[in-house]
Amino acid sequence: MTAHPGRFVVVKGERLLGAFDSMGEALAAGAAAFGLQSFLVRRLGEKQGAVNIPALTLGLLRADPQHPAGRSGS
Amino acid sequence: MPILNIQLAAQDPSGNQIPPLVALQQRGPVVQVSVSVEQNIAQQLLAQGVPLPAPARGFALIDTGATSTCIDEAAAARLDLPAIDVVTIASASHASTQQSVHPIQIEVVGLPITISAPRAIAAPLAAQGLVVLIGRDVLQHCTLFYNGPAGSFSLSV
Repeated sequence: MTAHPGRFVVVKGERLLGAFDSMGEALAAGAAAFGLQSFLVRRLGEKQGAVNIPALTLGLLRADPQHPAGRSGS
Repeated sequence: MPILNIQLAAQDPSGNQIPPLVALQQRGPVVQVSVSVEQNIAQQLLAQGVPLPAPARGFALIDTGATSTCIDEAAAARLDLPAIDVVTIASASHASTQQSVHPIQIEVVGLPITISAPRAIAAPLAAQGLVVLIGRDVLQHCTLFYNGPAGSFSLSV
């Protein structure tokens, strides 16, 4: 794994399908091998970034404030 | 570089026209989209003779506050999308949940604009009338101009 930093690996169960240069190549290889079954794609050496989606976290989607923001000075 | 220009139009429950700046403030920057399996996967499936599910149509909300693009979890199930990872996200009803990650392709209805989102997170969006939330993982490849006074926005990809 350490020999392929930055490459995308495809894993299914305990099987390593391979390391690929791009996400697209990894997805194509995964689909070729496993069809629509799920498989794992990760970029080697890349730390998983934090996922932050305030609209979901705070339930703000389609919020309907009683006092919507107006123009400054209005 | 394809450019999407939208000025929102909407009506109130009485059928009266709502000014564009109010429509944009209320609905946000939304666009009609068609969502399907990511193109690299689609090509492989077609080569194997596997029929592709019909795309899911609906509204996408451009959300500059979201780090990641999301797809409605019911739409993801209907599209039979493979999961390629799992992430933990917080929601309004749960402290944190494990959600699957799916590779998708987003096409803007009526325009030659196709957006690849290889790591879209499944989330309950349908109740909000959305099929996709377009986050900053996609927007990092786009230019977005939000014109509040005109009730319009532009997105170039």
